[in-house]
Amino acid sequence: MKRIFVFLYTVLFAALLIAGCNKKLIEEPQSILTPAFFSTTQGFQQGLDAAYAGTRLFWGNQDLFTITVIGTDEFKRGIDGNSDVNLYASNYTSQTGVISANWRNAYTFINTCNGLVDNAGNVSGISDVTKARMVGEAKFLRANYYFTLVRFWSDVTLNKNFQSSPSTSAVRDPLADVYKFIIQDLKEAILVLPPGPKSSGVLPGKATAAAAKHVLAKVYLTRAGSSASVATDYDSAYIVANDLINSRASLGLGLLPDFVKVYEEGNEENAEVIWSVQHTANLAYNGPNNSGVSNFSADNVLNHMWVPQYEKQPGMIRSTQYGRPYIRCTPTRWLTDTCFKERVNDTRYAKTFQTVWYANNPDPAGYPKWTSPLPPGAPPGAVVGQPKFAFGDTAIYMPGVDKTNAQIAASRYLLMPPRNYNNTLGPTMIKYFDTKRANLNFPSIRPVIAYRLAETYLIAAEAAFMSGRIPEAVALTNVVRERAAYPTGNVAAMDITAADLSVDFFLDERARELCGELTRWWDLVRTNKLLERVRLHNPEAAPNILPRHILRPIPQSQIDAVVTGPPYPQNPGW
Amino acid sequence: MIFITNGIGAQNVSVKGFVTNQNGEPLSGVSVLAKGSSKGTVTGNDGTFQINVPQNSVLILSYIGYIAQEIKIGNKDQSNFGIQLLADKNEMSQVIVVGYGTRKKSDVTGAIVSISEQSIKDIPAANLAQALQGQGAGIDIQKSGGNSKPGVTPSILIRGSRSVLAGNNPLIVIDGIPFNGSLNDLNQDDVASVEVLKDASSTAIYGSRGANGVILVTTKRGKTGKPVVSYNAYAGTVRNIGEYPVMNGPEFALFKKWAFANGIYTGNVPKYTGIDDPRLAVDGLSAEEQEGIRTGRSTDWQKLIYKPGSITDHQLSITGGTDITQFSISGGYFKEIGVYPGQDFERFSIKTSIDQQFGKIFKVGLNSLNTFTTTDGESANPMAQALRSSPLVSPYDSLGNLVNEYVPGSASQVWNVLGNFLPGTSVEKRKRFGTFTTLYVDVNIFKGLKYKFNAGAEVRSDVYGNFYAAKTSNNQGSQSTSQNRSNLRTNYTLENIVTYDNSFFRKHKINFTGLYSFQEQKTQSNDFRNTNISADYLQYFNPILAGTLIPGDPDNIYFQKWDIISYMARVNYSFDDRYLLTFTVRSDGSSRLAPGNKWQTYPSVAAAWNIYKERFFNVRPITNLKLRASYGSVGNANIDPYQTLGLLSPIVYNYGATTTTGVFPTNAPNSSLKWEYTTSFNLGLDFGLFHNRVSGSIELYKQFTHSLLLRENLPSSSGTPNPILKNVGKTENKGIELQLTTVNITGRNKNSFRWTSDLNIFINRGKITKLANGVTKDVANNWFVGYPIGVYYDYQRAGIWQNTKGDTLWAQGLGLTVNGAGSVIGQIRVADLNGDNKIDATNDRMIIGSSEPDWEGGMTNRFGYKGFDLSIVTFARVGGTLKSTLQGGGFVNTFQGTYNNLKAHYWTPTNQENYYPKPNANYTNTPMGSLLGYFNGTYVKIRSISLGYNLPKLVVDKIKGRSIRIYATAEDPVILFSSYRKKFGGLDPEAAGSSSSPSVATLGVDTPSTWSLVFGINVSF
Repeated sequence: MKRIFVFLYTVLFAALLIAGCNKKLIEEPQSILTPAFFSTTQGFQQGLDAAYAGTRLFWGNQDLFTITVIGTDEFKRGIDGNSDVNLYASNYTSQTGVISANWRNAYTFINTCNGLVDNAGNVSGISDVTKARMVGEAKFLRANYYFTLVRFWSDVTLNKNFQSSPSTSAVRDPLADVYKFIIQDLKEAILVLPPGPKSSGVLPGKATAAAAKHVLAKVYLTRAGSSASVATDYDSAYIVANDLINSRASLGLGLLPDFVKVYEEGNEENAEVIWSVQHTANLAYNGPNNSGVSNFSADNVLNHMWVPQYEKQPGMIRSTQYGRPYIRCTPTRWLTDTCFKERVNDTRYAKTFQTVWYANNPDPAGYPKWTSPLPPGAPPGAVVGQPKFAFGDTAIYMPGVDKTNAQIAASRYLLMPPRNYNNTLGPTMIKYFDTKRANLNFPSIRPVIAYRLAETYLIAAEAAFMSGRIPEAVALTNVVRERAAYPTGNVAAMDITAADLSVDFFLDERARELCGELTRWWDLVRTNKLLERVRLHNPEAAPNILPRHILRPIPQSQIDAVVTGPPYPQNPGW
Repeated sequence: MIFITNGIGAQNVSVKGFVTNQNGEPLSGVSVLAKGSSKGTVTGNDGTFQINVPQNSVLILSYIGYIAQEIKIGNKDQSNFGIQLLADKNEMSQVIVVGYGTRKKSDVTGAIVSISEQSIKDIPAANLAQALQGQGAGIDIQKSGGNSKPGVTPSILIRGSRSVLAGNNPLIVIDGIPFNGSLNDLNQDDVASVEVLKDASSTAIYGSRGANGVILVTTKRGKTGKPVVSYNAYAGTVRNIGEYPVMNGPEFALFKKWAFANGIYTGNVPKYTGIDDPRLAVDGLSAEEQEGIRTGRSTDWQKLIYKPGSITDHQLSITGGTDITQFSISGGYFKEIGVYPGQDFERFSIKTSIDQQFGKIFKVGLNSLNTFTTTDGESANPMAQALRSSPLVSPYDSLGNLVNEYVPGSASQVWNVLGNFLPGTSVEKRKRFGTFTTLYVDVNIFKGLKYKFNAGAEVRSDVYGNFYAAKTSNNQGSQSTSQNRSNLRTNYTLENIVTYDNSFFRKHKINFTGLYSFQEQKTQSNDFRNTNISADYLQYFNPILAGTLIPGDPDNIYFQKWDIISYMARVNYSFDDRYLLTFTVRSDGSSRLAPGNKWQTYPSVAAAWNIYKERFFNVRPITNLKLRASYGSVGNANIDPYQTLGLLSPIVYNYGATTTTGVFPTNAPNSSLKWEYTTSFNLGLDFGLFHNRVSGSIELYKQFTHSLLLRENLPSSSGTPNPILKNVGKTENKGIELQLTTVNITGRNKNSFRWTSDLNIFINRGKITKLANGVTKDVANNWFVGYPIGVYYDYQRAGIWQNTKGDTLWAQGLGLTVNGAGSVIGQIRVADLNGDNKIDATNDRMIIGSSEPDWEGGMTNRFGYKGFDLSIVTFARVGGTLKSTLQGGGFVNTFQGTYNNLKAHYWTPTNQENYYPKPNANYTNTPMGSLLGYFNGTYVKIRSISLGYNLPKLVVDKIKGRSIRIYATAEDPVILFSSYRKKFGGLDPEAAGSSSSPSVATLGVDTPSTWSLVFGINVSF
């Protein structure tokens, strides 16, 4: 009997354990968000924030810098720069990492924008007006991402909708279709976005109709130079840009009187700025050494890119003021000597480049001393055995004109005429310098100005010229040029005439105004001048550049991952 | 005299002796029989016996689990006759552990490797996994990425890798309950035996959890008898097995000059006239380096870093009990100090077990394993910095003070790593506390019918912190940083097991096992970081006293829960002990799969035939012959929870001063995720010859896996940046395993020479047979139909482009640059595979190797003579390709000349070198540099050499002990036949896949591998 009870109790105990366990197999995550969150009020807002955050992976990040700034007529490789992209030698291939990074990031955030546009109808709890504006912001951002893609790769995959069931096949859609989609997005955004960055309630970095118009004008101008050009493109570019310029007063926009103020630290929300990509001084989300994408975001490292190896010179040490010497690029001799030749009336050379460094090493041991015999022409006061200069004195100076070897030998400090510029030291582009970051090795905390009104003038001027509106072209150009004379130059001497205008002139003028502003490679391709100008002005790249280089190679990772359907086509020649 | 001997016949001699095992521990109950007579006795508790037998008799000593010995007795009385019995690993009546029960070895139908306590003891290793290496066929144990830091656990693969993503780690079951800790959380001195279940029939009982094989660990429990106290200890030193070969001062100076001479151009015009251009002595070299050249300085940075390490182990245990109560208590302490400053591992462990019988019906037992471990410096790896440090400069200034700065002349990239060793500047500590407790209640309901309730709970807490001062190689003079991570995991298992055993009509035996089990695991993990800590001594302990608090890595911040519910039934049937059959069916439900696909049922069947028991079978030398066959299936769903749901990842943005956290889709959902399913067929033959002096087994197997859980990289244009988890494709694995044990020379007694060998050889071939949608080649994911998982797909090396007219024209014909800084001359040349006169990644890459070896094997030889025993464990891995980022693609072999480089006979315009490229200051990494990282993976390693001595009984008796053994062991002392090591300057060819790519073995740049020499003692009272 006892055994029977043992048996029964055992069965009962086991049965109790088994009962009700199947519920345990249902998953209820508590620490992650899933795509369903996108159609909630909060999720919709956070998705839009992420779509904005994606722009940081371009403006401020090294990846976009590398493929828009170097390998052009403006800048060549610094000693620590990317030799593949700059040299156009055969080691630059579809596997070059910086190429795939830009490609991947654009598509990731296009999909985020697609998710917002597609989901908007399901979201409740947001007013229709707000929702429409948010959709407009997403379209503005999507247009920017696609615009980036077409300018590097021409025909690209066009995803108009959220990719919820991922595919391993992909096709390249015609360039014309992608441009059409970009233009449509921008036109729709213009209708619902707040007028301009100074309109009430518009936070820094937010999309506005003004920004959308600037991009739209640029899109027309770019398409006009592409294989997908439409006859009216130059007209359209002129009309849209001119419209923005004409409404500048009502938008609170305008060129600053002084070119140098445009880039002044802390002045990134000035009246000339149409759209900027925000970076943060909040150290929790910044640096150190986040030159790539961290889990949170990408840092603005543009402050490091141009900084030369000044710290290797006598009397110099690395400082927050002079920056961290990434020395990714140095200006071409054409840029400093020819393009910026006019330095009296045009103040932009002096306001774009650093040419003097003051000794900042507190340790007196490293300072050079005069040796016997004193060089001929040595300055008064030079004494054999005494330091040539002291803390706070000039340590490096680049006069921008030639000096004799005797003058160089007799100089107290390092005197560097243009013929001595090299890939470690030369005039240094200072638009992105940042002296307020936490540590001398930290990235920048400054927003990056993506679009500004001076460029709108140059777009309008170029479009006017290309569409035969010569007087308008001259007038628009002169607005920008006259400002460059402030405060000491002769304004009238800056004016140009119709005879000066040409495609090359506009490229030169853009170099003077927009040098280093993450657009040069695109401008050269747009005007079909990349091969010609690189061959003329970039000596390292000149022997190697080939017609295939006017497009970037489709990243090998993309080609490799398209395993179903037809193979993903590579660009010609790659 | 002859007459006397014959006539009396009864002139007996008295033999007093004692019988011990190989460890010198007394064996009680050994049968001692005079051959050809009925005279016999058994040994007592202390292993002693006394017998009177005629002169010149032969004594037969036999004992279950040991090889019987015949010993000739002389014509004199023997009062202290020592005999040692050798364990019989393939003794068929030996009882081994199988899933949910034990079986006599002769009744086993599946492929199981049983590893005895003795084998584990032979190698005094830091953890059980190391101790198992080379011990069983089909068990592939490798250091992960060549990592031999203290506290690291090796990776274990049983019969190759099948699953790609769902993990290839076998299930570890301790005393019947799945164990989720690391093998470091276990003290191998507490282990009584290990069984490795390999085929589907054996593992089927563990269902989905057993897909990658099962390691059953049985811990030591109390034994009836007088309490036995044992003390085991060893201590010794640990040394690095060598230094990475980098250039010395003069070599580096020349190398740097070449890099500049080759790489600095204006257009197509080289800046320097040649290697003798005087400007080279200034341009590329810092002032300190120039001084180094003048003074002939050549700093060996590695010598300044490595130091001798040490290893210590103590274990004290007491076991004993009565017929109704048995107990066992043990405590252990292990510490290893590595060769790299700041790396050590320490483990405290306490184990208690008690078994209590209540009347005739109930038996209750409890076993508790508790460990506390501390690991220091587990990810300390500034080797890429140390190896790149310029040998031309000194880490110290002229006064002998450490220069805690960038190493001059290294482009401000390489920090003086000696700064990391200043007290308190680099702290990295992981503390784990865990308890693993199992409890059972056995209910003997009727004769043959038993119910068992088995419960196990594991609670493990893992607290990690690190701190790096500003002036360390981690922060390079920037701000100090710290990190805090905590992880708490709870896991419990409940099992109801019913077993029924009966025999019918004498020859039919049946055994039924039914199981219901439920397991749940919850893990919560947190991570945060700080920068700019107020004072260095605060380390990571006070996040408030810091400049900035930073959220940690999202991968470390989570709450996860998963559940598995299982039903299982198994029937074993045997007829006359000759024909054996096993049917198993198991059904598993997993929370981690998509609704509708959560449940899967796995059947399996196995049969065995004990041929040697057949009456017709009478082949004299064959003492054992058994044929086994099994067929069955298992599943795998060992993936992270919540993968079916997709994921939004955080990204931070700010609008001016307004900071926001946005979310964007990074992982696509998969609402059809289901079980990975493996069907396998196993054929086995167990054999024994000459009274099992030669014994072993051969296994043949084939496995088919479908619905493989794969993480698939998508085209970037899909907008989903992270790979998606999918069930795609099929793989196949087939293999042969041979396990052989031989008693080559059986010694008469402990004074004679003895030699036994264990040999195992295994061959595994895996391949992908199908991918999704008929795809045969998926380069993005490195999957190719017809090839194993874990191949290397790259360009094919074809030497170096030489500065000859022929090569120049050829290169030009391929569209390659032959002038200026980007010239390919002197660079690695690759083949134009498709002959289209163009080198491109789409058409000119191929499968150039696989990490799968041709075969692997282990051999253990044990020798004994006069109380001495010597064992040598050898391990071989033959064939396969080894990938090393040290040589290919890493920071130490860039040929840029900015930093120090691996010593290489590099190309120069005059030497026509055809393997190593030219130094080139123009490239941060030499183009096609990854091709320098593939090597033949063959190596033979002496895993350990151990020499022991059992103290004579006289000495042992004096201190009233049972046995005392002293020994010395050298672990990993020798690497043989490794071209990677001998020819290419690698240190240790042993590598295994990382957790992210388990099947691709890659060696990285890490603190060097080590070898150790320890001295130990085993005492029991």
